[in-house]
Amino acid sequence: MSETVYVSKVNSSTETILVVDDDTDILALLEMSLISDGFNVITASDGMEGLERAKTDLPDLILLDVMMPYMDGLQVIEKLKSDSDTSTIPIMWITAKSQTEDKLKGLETGGDDYITKPFDLREVSARINAVLGRTRPVKYINPLISAMGEGFSEEGVAELGSHLQAAAEIQMKLLPDKPPVYPGFEFATMFRSSTSVSGDLYDFIPLSETRIGVVLGDVKGHGIPAALLMVMIQTASRLLCNETDSPSTVLKRINTLLFHNTDLEQFATMVYGILELDTGLFTYANGGHCPPIHFISGKDKTDTLNHNRSKVELLETGGMLIGAFDIATFSSDTSQLSPGDVLILYTDGVTETEGVKPNDFYGEDRLIECLSRNLDQSAETLCEVLQSDLLDFSGTTQLKDDRAVVVIKRTEVN
Amino acid sequence: MFDSTTFAENKAIVHVNGKIIGNAVTQFRDEIEQQLQDGNNNLIIDLTDVPLLDSTALGVIIITLQVLQRSGGKLVLLNPQKAVSSVLEVTRLTSILEVYESEEAARNAFS
Repeated sequence: MSETVYVSKVNSSTETILVVDDDTDILALLEMSLISDGFNVITASDGMEGLERAKTDLPDLILLDVMMPYMDGLQVIEKLKSDSDTSTIPIMWITAKSQTEDKLKGLETGGDDYITKPFDLREVSARINAVLGRTRPVKYINPLISAMGEGFSEEGVAELGSHLQAAAEIQMKLLPDKPPVYPGFEFATMFRSSTSVSGDLYDFIPLSETRIGVVLGDVKGHGIPAALLMVMIQTASRLLCNETDSPSTVLKRINTLLFHNTDLEQFATMVYGILELDTGLFTYANGGHCPPIHFISGKDKTDTLNHNRSKVELLETGGMLIGAFDIATFSSDTSQLSPGDVLILYTDGVTETEGVKPNDFYGEDRLIECLSRNLDQSAETLCEVLQSDLLDFSGTTQLKDDRAVVVIKRTEVN
Repeated sequence: MFDSTTFAENKAIVHVNGKIIGNAVTQFRDEIEQQLQDGNNNLIIDLTDVPLLDSTALGVIIITLQVLQRSGGKLVLLNPQKAVSSVLEVTRLTSILEVYESEEAARNAFS
């Protein structure tokens, strides 16, 4: 019997660094070194291209050479700092040792730190981490500042930012640090937050040796209020999910709890399901959440002509959104995962991803199409494929809404 | 973005024009509160010209529904478009909200 168990979590906290240098050797060297340090790297070979990439990709840090054709590094810094989209991105520049003037000018124009040539790659990495450590809280707080307008003092912003960062870290620790490992199944997850803290959640709750609870939900709104409610729901579901109660009973209890303990207009949508690891039976209840999609691999060995055809089943049974109505009732349903089948649970941050054109959204159809084409891949690869398709569609790594995805694949067992 | 008319005693229709997202949600809430203060506890929210609403706006609709029901009134939605309609369906609010396609039918819901 061959069993492949493959687990992963697409790293949500990977920071992106834009490297701008006209010297392709140095560019390649920096790229390699930064990737091995765990960063995402994008590159540009001159100042103009660097500016464009900065605006479209909004990296977490920009590393650029001062000496470049067309537009020198200092001009690039000046332009980046004067554009509200890019003004808060930390910038480091590379200069020749003797050019004291460049160092000063760079700092005057708003650059954050510099590296002198020739440089030691370990020093580059250490300095980048130091700059990111200083600027990370600012990145987290920015969406809030723009939402609240003026009236923040710089110290207040920095303090709030560090609190938020701490909150985000606490929240990330509440989520499973890696998907579960069980023979015959692959689990993979993707989790990204539009601000620092998130209103989305997912969880895996072991109920017995052969049953695992799967929770995925989305709390109204985003930011701190949503995150607090998310933590409440997660705690409630860990306490309320057990081996004997059906998913609908559990949703009803969470609904009652939320209804009595939050404002009327606070609500969440969530799916709770119990996966039976020995049979692949998934018993679930959907509380007003976008329906999980079950891809039926349909690999019928007698049907060699159409062996790749797949159908989908939407897991819609359940009831209303959670926490807004005391009277809400829920029902459970089942879905049978056969070998080769894939089940995806996701939040609407995925399907409501806005395209390059306004009012063009990713949508359920494209999600189905994207995954249908890749059903023979592992759960982890499916997550990666989806993430890259979302990036292609939206053209930006900036999120307007939080995103959580759980992919479960029942592997082929011989 | 709002155009509200009281068409009978305690009965009003609120026409909304544009996406109810972000800051517009606060205005939307203010407009509804104004209607409640004016004593209109039978409300039609006309969603014909609303291409999109976010979850916070949905929260406003939910609280309005509950407040009106408690005061013996009623909330009716008029003509939600594709995106809004699908949000109402997925969240199953359609099971508890009255939704009509024509203004006449919406008005008749109060009689």
